[in-house]
Amino acid sequence: MQEYGRSEFSMPEEQRQTTMAVDELQAIIQRCQILEEADFKGEDFNLFQVAGQKCLEDGYAAQLLEVIQNEKNKVIIKNMGWNLISPLVRCIFMYKREDDKREHCLKILEQLAQLCNPKELFLGLLEQIEQTSGERVCQTVMLLLQPLQIVLLKLQNKKAYSVGLSLAMIMNQLTPLPVPYTKQQIQEDKLGLCQCCNAVVDFTKPFVNEVVKNMEKSSEYNDTELKEELLKFCMKSLKYPLLTAQLEELEGVDEHPFRHFAAEIIDILWDIKELIPLVFLHRKSKNPEWENQEFADIEQKNIADSLACLSYLMVVQHFGIECFPMVFSPSYLLQCNMANIEVLLKRTEESVLSKGLDLFESCLLRMEDNSLLHQYLEFRDFINVPQDLVKVMTLCPIEHLRKKSLNILQLYIDKFDTEGKHTLFRCLLKTSNHAGVEGYVIKNIKDQIHLSLTKACDNTWFTGHHLISLLDLVFLLPEGAETDLLQHSDSIMASLNLLRYLVIKDCESDNQTGVWTMIPRIEQHFLKPLHVGLNMSKAHYEAEIKNKKENKKEAQSPNTVCSVTVSGEKMPAMTTEMQLQVLHSALFTFDLIESVLARVEELIEVKIKAVMDENS
Amino acid sequence: MVLEGGDFSFSPLSPHQTRLWCSAPTLPLMPPTKSTLQGMLHKYIVSLAAGISDCTRFWCEILTLSLGGRIQNLPGLPHVLQRSCGGKIIKRPGGEDESPMIGDKVYVHYKGKLASGKKFDSSRDRNEPFVFSLGKGQVIKAWDIGVATMKKGEICYLLCKPEYAYGSAGSAPKIPSNATLFFEVELLDFKGEDLFEDGGIIRRIKRKGEGYSNPNEGATVEIHLEGFCGGTRFDCKDVKFIVGEGEDHDIPIGIDKALEKMQRGEHCILYLAPRYGFGEAGKPKYGIQANMELVYEVTLKSFEKAKESWEMDTKEKLEQAAVVKEKGTMYFKDVREQTERFSAGSSSLFFFAPSQEGKYLQAVIQYGKIVSWLEMEYGLSEKESKASDSFLLAAFLNLAMCYLKLREYTKAVECCDKALGLDQDNEKGLYRRGEARLLMNEFELAKCDFQKVLEVNPQNKAAKSQISVCQKKTKEHNERDRRIYANMFTKFAERDAKEAASKTRVEKVAERAACEKGSKTDAEDAEGHV
Repeated sequence: MQEYGRSEFSMPEEQRQTTMAVDELQAIIQRCQILEEADFKGEDFNLFQVAGQKCLEDGYAAQLLEVIQNEKNKVIIKNMGWNLISPLVRCIFMYKREDDKREHCLKILEQLAQLCNPKELFLGLLEQIEQTSGERVCQTVMLLLQPLQIVLLKLQNKKAYSVGLSLAMIMNQLTPLPVPYTKQQIQEDKLGLCQCCNAVVDFTKPFVNEVVKNMEKSSEYNDTELKEELLKFCMKSLKYPLLTAQLEELEGVDEHPFRHFAAEIIDILWDIKELIPLVFLHRKSKNPEWENQEFADIEQKNIADSLACLSYLMVVQHFGIECFPMVFSPSYLLQCNMANIEVLLKRTEESVLSKGLDLFESCLLRMEDNSLLHQYLEFRDFINVPQDLVKVMTLCPIEHLRKKSLNILQLYIDKFDTEGKHTLFRCLLKTSNHAGVEGYVIKNIKDQIHLSLTKACDNTWFTGHHLISLLDLVFLLPEGAETDLLQHSDSIMASLNLLRYLVIKDCESDNQTGVWTMIPRIEQHFLKPLHVGLNMSKAHYEAEIKNKKENKKEAQSPNTVCSVTVSGEKMPAMTTEMQLQVLHSALFTFDLIESVLARVEELIEVKIKAVMDENS
Repeated sequence: MVLEGGDFSFSPLSPHQTRLWCSAPTLPLMPPTKSTLQGMLHKYIVSLAAGISDCTRFWCEILTLSLGGRIQNLPGLPHVLQRSCGGKIIKRPGGEDESPMIGDKVYVHYKGKLASGKKFDSSRDRNEPFVFSLGKGQVIKAWDIGVATMKKGEICYLLCKPEYAYGSAGSAPKIPSNATLFFEVELLDFKGEDLFEDGGIIRRIKRKGEGYSNPNEGATVEIHLEGFCGGTRFDCKDVKFIVGEGEDHDIPIGIDKALEKMQRGEHCILYLAPRYGFGEAGKPKYGIQANMELVYEVTLKSFEKAKESWEMDTKEKLEQAAVVKEKGTMYFKDVREQTERFSAGSSSLFFFAPSQEGKYLQAVIQYGKIVSWLEMEYGLSEKESKASDSFLLAAFLNLAMCYLKLREYTKAVECCDKALGLDQDNEKGLYRRGEARLLMNEFELAKCDFQKVLEVNPQNKAAKSQISVCQKKTKEHNERDRRIYANMFTKFAERDAKEAASKTRVEKVAERAACEKGSKTDAEDAEGHV
């Protein structure tokens, strides 16, 4: 045995004593060398693995490498080598980067990839990827990608399936990792996710090339399996990490890793000729495999996220723009994207929500003002999306998104023709349930009336009976005199301002807007109940103030009836002073409303009187 | 001639290749004389040059050149039309005379250039024809107008003024604001819209409707229609009916289906395959034989949508369910009577085969309404719930019957399952499921169903005889199988041997894996002890 050892290794004298593990390995190797491949027994596999593992653990990676590289051992390694993957991966992570032993281990990995039976090694590698978790995921994946690729390229059967399985496994392992978002996080790339994603794309390239070659060969190439697997990978990547990733260009970062990744994914989609169908034909998931409707729905939802991200990349970030047909009309582009925008706006994460807003904005900016035909509102999305936008405007905790969504709402309004604007205003007034938004819409109505009064153009939608149907929704207290005036103050003030504008601008004799016809109705349903409401509210708040002032002297006990939380933080209980302040500011609001109301009534009276005088 | 970019392979046009479409605001539609033509050309060039750009000048040069050639050897007068969107010159006329219609699926190759001569897009670079629906606003306006005038095989140049392209907004990042676009377009092919992607109904729109909303099932429509079969008109009328009930007016199911995709005011031609027409039964009233293709010209004058399920309250749904059930049964029975009449054998109608799928489709629509209204209705009172269940049971049983007739056995089984979900011992449900399964060659399952029928009603003779059919079929089936497989056994034996061999190898792998695990725990134990 020593003879054998001498002939095989040229190891330093002093090490010979301590190479128990190497000797054991030699013993099993020697025994197997004389056996036929088919005669290897389970026991041999076991002994080989134990010995090999020991070699690695004891630091004899170099010796193990020599054994593996030996031409005589080719058959043994081919059959048994895959057993070493697990201990090998463990060792590689044990050693430091610059350690020679690590280098040897990497060499071994490389050799195994070349020599082992692809089928078994494939499972061995996949198992390693499956077993890693947490901080080590990216490192493991990046370590094993190259051998995995070599093995997959060697596989004869079920190649497409295996590629798909590998990619699905890798993506599943990556998905729980947080996606770096800020510039600092991206540059730091603590878990290596950015690097890893790009490594995975490189990993897919030979397979993409294979698909491309096959497609060139014949148009009726039937084996679409590999293509489907790559498509699945792209869709998955669009959902994670791209949907949640920051994809704006970053100052001072030349090669933004996620932008690079996105560009590569789009290239793949283009190469396998799926890009344009995805963006414009909206592949219905006619997947007959899913008999269960529930599964089909889930599938559809997954695809919706990915498609939305894809549209964002193309329309907002101009990825793959060279493949994008430049003949589509802006309206059609918006129509195609409405479903995507809706998907994105329904989410709450800043990264996703802001993509939705950007996509919406970008589609709208391509259109001329007043060019969107009102008929588009017959599509459900065109009515639903502005409602989602209103929700972002009123409920989103992130201020810049709230502001942006308000700007986009204005943009959306501007793009519609007058009939479209009219319908949209009606819809928003009916659905927003938010006085601020109602006030904003009323202001818009005023602008439109102003336009139709000052411009020569014929605008039937903001004068006459069409306008009246809109004004019926404006000059209205939802619960009559009992309406909470404080809560609705924004819309009430806007309505009063609009009424004042109408009464000043439109003479009763002209009655261009038709407002004079409906003055009695306005008085009945709006002005009168408003008076009553104001009186009641003022009396109520004044009494409350009086109460508070008296109580203040008596008890200082903190009898909080309820607590208020704002974005998860509990607000401190209000002191009596603060409460008084609030009550006073409410009174101030009522005064304000009252003064405008008085002014409007005065104007109406004067005008009516003037006409009556004229007539008499 | 200077061609910036030089990407368009442009050669001076010979008179035979050229036709001119130009825009001059006061153009007579009468064939102009040579001198007026020159005058118009002058006007046209001036009007184009008003929005001066390099491309415009380039365009004018083409015009001058081509028209110059034409005027010199004027074989006839050129066809001049009014176009305000820009202009179009035909580089190579198409072979056929027909142009695409609105809604047609159009296949083109194109190259697009900016005024600067910079190419911004080309379908040829993508190596893929560009496909779109014509006249639906999918593409820039100049294209919808321009391509509609092309003939198959034609190549033309299109000049698109900004207001007919991307206007002042442009289209980031390639098209700047107020850009005039220049295209070379080749119309490769076009075809009518395949409404259900099954080749069953092809639509070609003559006049586009308004807006985007369509009648739904149950909507009331007012239409004008003309029906043709083999070139002869067999029907022409104005009619008002409910979508899904066209049969009442001798209108085939394909029209009902197509109406759901039409818009108010639309005028179109529909090509119906027999299964969307009068099917195997034909239509004696119109002298239409079995399995004939039909052509209809339809104008949707107006419609009123039916309420969607969510717009109706429970009471309304139950009331309507009764009406609809009646209606469905009427369609169903009607067919039966007709079939009987035919099988009685009136000699003058000998070529009409007894109907197999006459009005079952219509009946399915009616029964389907009950399901869509009531299947997911919650919060019913006890009384309502009882009524609802009985409607649903009837609907499912009848649907199962219809699907049996339509030979859609899987759907029939589904409906029976749902019916049995409401009433597990329902005799009809069990019997019909048995029938469907028997026809799907699931003899054992079918037998079970018929046996259950007998448990519920021992007097059911039909079920008894069905059981014996099942047994007979099973036997036949088994025998056939035996014959087929007889000579395969030897092959199987060989394969089995091989598999056994490979199995031992698989076991080996498994053993190895087990060993690995074992050794791992050993190692951990050892560490623990240390």
